[in-house]
Amino acid sequence: MNILRRLRRCRTPRFLLGLLLAYLFVFASLYEMEPKTTILRVGLFAGSIWGVPQGDSYAYIDEVIQNFEAAHPHVKVIYQSGIRKQDYSEWLSGRALAGELPDVFLLPPDDFDLYTNRGVLAPLDALAKDDPDLDLDDFYPAPLAYGRSGGTGALYALPVECVPRLMFVNRTLLAREGIPLPPDDWTWDDFLAICREVTRDTDGDGRLDQFGAYGYTWQDAVVTSGQRLFRADGKASYFADPLIESAIRFTLALQQTLQGQTVQERDFDLGRVAFRPFNFAAYRTYQPYPWRIKKVTNFEWDCIRLPRGPEGKNTSPIETLLMGISAQTPERQLAWEFLKAVCYEKESQEQLLHLSAALPVRRGIIEDAAPAALFGSAADERSGRSPQAVSRVMEEGSLPDRFPHYSEAILIADREIQKLLQGSLQETNAMNRLQKEVNDLLLK
Amino acid sequence: MKRTPFQQQRRLAKILDAGELHALHDLLTIYNGMVIVLIAGFMSITQQKIIQTMNAHAFLAQLPSLPLPPAAILFDTIGAFLLLALLGRIYREAALPPLPRYLCLAAEIILCIVIMRSLSLAYDGIVLLVVADLLHRYSGRHQLILLSAAMLGLYAIVDYNIASFTNHLSPFDAYTVYYAAEPRAWIIAIHHGLTSVNLVLFVFYLTLLVRQNHQEKQRVASLNAQLEEANARLRAYALEAESVAETRERNRLAREIHDTLGHALTGIAAGLDATAILMDIAPARAKEQLTKVKDIALRGLKDVRRSVEKLRPDDLEQLPLRQAIERMTKEFSDSTGMKITFEVLAWPQRLRPDQEEVLYRVVQEGMTNARRHGHATHLDITVGARRGIVYLLLADDGCGADITQLKKGFGLRHMQERLALLHGKLRYWSDQGFTLEAILPENEEASTFL
Repeated sequence: MNILRRLRRCRTPRFLLGLLLAYLFVFASLYEMEPKTTILRVGLFAGSIWGVPQGDSYAYIDEVIQNFEAAHPHVKVIYQSGIRKQDYSEWLSGRALAGELPDVFLLPPDDFDLYTNRGVLAPLDALAKDDPDLDLDDFYPAPLAYGRSGGTGALYALPVECVPRLMFVNRTLLAREGIPLPPDDWTWDDFLAICREVTRDTDGDGRLDQFGAYGYTWQDAVVTSGQRLFRADGKASYFADPLIESAIRFTLALQQTLQGQTVQERDFDLGRVAFRPFNFAAYRTYQPYPWRIKKVTNFEWDCIRLPRGPEGKNTSPIETLLMGISAQTPERQLAWEFLKAVCYEKESQEQLLHLSAALPVRRGIIEDAAPAALFGSAADERSGRSPQAVSRVMEEGSLPDRFPHYSEAILIADREIQKLLQGSLQETNAMNRLQKEVNDLLLK
Repeated sequence: MKRTPFQQQRRLAKILDAGELHALHDLLTIYNGMVIVLIAGFMSITQQKIIQTMNAHAFLAQLPSLPLPPAAILFDTIGAFLLLALLGRIYREAALPPLPRYLCLAAEIILCIVIMRSLSLAYDGIVLLVVADLLHRYSGRHQLILLSAAMLGLYAIVDYNIASFTNHLSPFDAYTVYYAAEPRAWIIAIHHGLTSVNLVLFVFYLTLLVRQNHQEKQRVASLNAQLEEANARLRAYALEAESVAETRERNRLAREIHDTLGHALTGIAAGLDATAILMDIAPARAKEQLTKVKDIALRGLKDVRRSVEKLRPDDLEQLPLRQAIERMTKEFSDSTGMKITFEVLAWPQRLRPDQEEVLYRVVQEGMTNARRHGHATHLDITVGARRGIVYLLLADDGCGADITQLKKGFGLRHMQERLALLHGKLRYWSDQGFTLEAILPENEEASTFL
């Protein structure tokens, strides 16, 4: 009887409601406990920013993603492919305005300040400090410094890859002229002497057809002069500095060896130019097959450091590709892990050496690399280059200037200095006037 | 409860004015809501168009900070505004205790900042709406400080943000740059117009608020004057009533004396006359007559006693002296907080009502003096009786008094006089506090007689 009465009580609405709630609870907890896939979005562009052809733009990132997803089972990393390098900046701005920024993204080279000043990028100092697996000292100093904000020094991005600017040498031409390959610590005077020696008319048609250098600009001379062009905060320039003036005079002297003629890129491709400053990515791209055929055919080439001025060093400006984390990402820690996988992890950075034309930003990888992997398959024992030497170039590399009015300032300076070089302007006071003009702009 | 005409008038005026103020505040709220929806919609649509037409990079470069996504601009702003309007209403209308009300206000200020941020500071009129809310319940001491701090804070935020535009266009201008010159001019003109109308509404609201406050003050002043006048009249009336009562009491006393004592004395005089004549003629009759005279005298005495009864203080009338004093001291102690001990060494057995009254008065007067002039916190009252003498001693711990300078104004003279009438004495001295001693002979005869 008792049981029957109890059973009857079971049909009351309150009991049914309780039952329903219990079911709901069970299903909800089951749903909650089910592992959910976290999506991490990455912003990338197709093509190399180093101006060299690249077979598969996404080869490196695909490799990193594959390893990352293997290490993080419930994470899926996605990216929108096919955004061209020239459209990337606009695409990224559009995503930022629409509130759909990828969690992790490559920074367009000119937009670092645009994004840091507007709070779009997450600051990374705290993340880096709290991460026991990461030591910022493992990065080469110049590429890492490039990821810091000029004003506050806060870290907003990590370097993915970088390339130093080096001097390409036509070894065949130098051998023919009986000139030994210059050492790594050569000077402007050495450079000028060789250029004077090789610049001449070989076929006797009255026109010069063998030249010293192509593409060596006054800025290359400034970098190795021992004096920076701009103050670190970008509020003053030093064009009137004697060292800068000496760099300009040196460029002028180099120009004068051409006796009014101009050198074309084709001249270098045809093996008629002894020196050409080039980024290292180009060297690594054109050295091995198949690109080698496209570029140079009939001469051996090598790369050495840029020549230094009397007070300067053989430094190379280092260009860096940066990657940052969106300040709005809901998965900041995961984004940081991925950023680390791209920029820091040893295995990935080793892969970078094979999959990209640029160089890894982490120390200790270039030194351990086989010369063939570093310089391309054509590198042989005749080359004086060693991986250690490249690593030293990276260690001592200089940071390109970056501040709000940089491009305008450099445009003005280039215009005036080109006038000087072409002799249409008297040198007296020209640099002082230039310095004043640029400073006015910088203080605006 | 029935309202006086003043209160009714005041209430009515307040309702009328408050109605106007409320209507204007509602108008201000609705207008701001309209403007905010308009601006948020404009910014949202423009931003969407900028993204679609690939102008995002140039647009972003003109802005000092990253704006919200288009949909968020619209929904965040409208949501925050609705919440703000609701909180404003609660703040103004609901009878909240101070803490929730201040929290309400703080939330309003935060929402105001949220709205301005989500609109990239394109519209700061919302600050005025919050300030209007702040002003609405302007009262109290801290509120003025709070109000000033809140207003300064809000404007500091706005100004700081405007200062950060120095290197950039203001965000709203950056949005208008997207359009061609002519529509752009229109948009800017409309934007300015909207801000100005808001300002006009706000100033109008302020004027009304000030006017209301002013009228309120005037009303209070006039009510005060009326109250003062009523008080004066009341005082005059009280004086008059007192003198009337005194006259009436005098008349009653005169009547009483005439009716009782006069009647009895007349009877006694007449009886004695008759006795004087009868004394020689018929001594037996004279004796009889004297007995009659004695009866008349006794009856007169009874009547006098009854009259005196009527004049005694309430407590004394209802209670024996001892209880009456106990009750009086307790009530005084309860009402003033002074600690009073009442000690009886020996209670006098035979006291006449007039003696009781004098003792009662001395205790009453002494207590009042100790409190009023001596500012005492403790008072010891002792009563003793020995060999036909009654002692009453009051000693307090107050500040005492300079005996030589003491004018017997504190009822002392009065006490002395009343005691003297009963062959008693009053002594007082000041050492640690003030001590009062009353001595009174016990009257055996009268007490047995009566």
